[in-house]
Amino acid sequence: MHLTQGLELYPDTTVTQVLFKQVRNATELRQKAVEGKINGALINPTMVLSPFQVLVAANKAVHLQTAGKMKTRTLNSEIIFNLSPTNNISEAFKRFGISDGNDSVLVVLVHKRDKLPSLSDITAMVDGQQLPVDDVSSLSDIAKIKKLYKIPPQEEKCGSLLDAVVCRMAAKDVM
Amino acid sequence: MADPQFLSTAELVKQGAEARLYRTRFLGKPTIVKERFPKRYRHPELDEKLTHRRTVQEVRSILRCRRAGISAPVVYFVDYTSHCIFLEEVLGSVTVRDFIASTQQSASCKEELQQLAQRIGQILAKMHDEDVVHGDLTTSNMLLRRGPEDTESDLILIDFGLSYISALPEDKGVDLYVLEKAFLSTHPNTELLFEKLLKSYSASSRKSSAVIKKLDEVRLRGRKRSMVG
Repeated sequence: MHLTQGLELYPDTTVTQVLFKQVRNATELRQKAVEGKINGALINPTMVLSPFQVLVAANKAVHLQTAGKMKTRTLNSEIIFNLSPTNNISEAFKRFGISDGNDSVLVVLVHKRDKLPSLSDITAMVDGQQLPVDDVSSLSDIAKIKKLYKIPPQEEKCGSLLDAVVCRMAAKDVM
Repeated sequence: MADPQFLSTAELVKQGAEARLYRTRFLGKPTIVKERFPKRYRHPELDEKLTHRRTVQEVRSILRCRRAGISAPVVYFVDYTSHCIFLEEVLGSVTVRDFIASTQQSASCKEELQQLAQRIGQILAKMHDEDVVHGDLTTSNMLLRRGPEDTESDLILIDFGLSYISALPEDKGVDLYVLEKAFLSTHPNTELLFEKLLKSYSASSRKSSAVIKKLDEVRLRGRKRSMVG
């Protein structure tokens, strides 16, 4: 159900994604994340097209952490920030982080390769139904994604929507 | 670079004066890494500045082109400390250079080449209308990717390493002049084909007349403007 992938650039680091729908305790989860009681990033899955998009954000976060150039205070908040096409931190949390009314959540955990985090802790904490991570595309809000990332119709002629989104995430520091 | 081992295990595809290209996988996807290595012959501070600016310009131009609907490789990740750009590897493609060379030999495909010249003209017109100047237009920096059955193949522009944003007809004229030189010297007896390309450029671009006028000027004097006086 969950998805674990290593980062080629950081061979000892691994990213695990876990997806839930019909979540009933989003408010409580958000509170816990803010207090730092969850060692993971809680992402609003309606803004995610594919697990690859999250991997790009996580890889960049680990990269900036290693280089000491993070824009936010923690690795988990940096992952959320990296998903956003703009450099506005609070806007990024609002759009890409979990909000009180959300009924789905994507949990992203960055950990050392040999230390897989306890997934049962996560599943115990979330009051919802776990989904295979690849099903995240069934939850994505395409219209909202196009609007937020400002993707014009002609851009989809030269590639997928995911391509357009990933490009904006990768290039946002220089736009 | 994060892991100094990373590029040393990747396959070196090409080495130029400015950068090295590696083929590898990134987050599971086939990827080309363009590494701008340090140039020892330059002053370190100047080198860092130039390299950084070119990396940024390349990323910017790619995004600007894609936004306008011009195909260019997807940017996956940029490392501004080691000046590496991680780009989508365009699979199943040939360079326009190889395509023209092989098509020229089978004399029956004149029509196909004409259509290609027309497409190139249209795309360059669109690029220049977005004020992107490529800086290194050659037939090797254009890829053709076969689409699914019966659809037109994709024309993809690559290598924006020398590109910049400019609205000046002069810069666009030089861009076309560089292409003309490269085109006619790589592909013998293609004067008519290039003329077709320019005609299609003029017909598609909103601002073509000033650019073509500049092109005529540049042809007489060469790429570099005289700074005397």
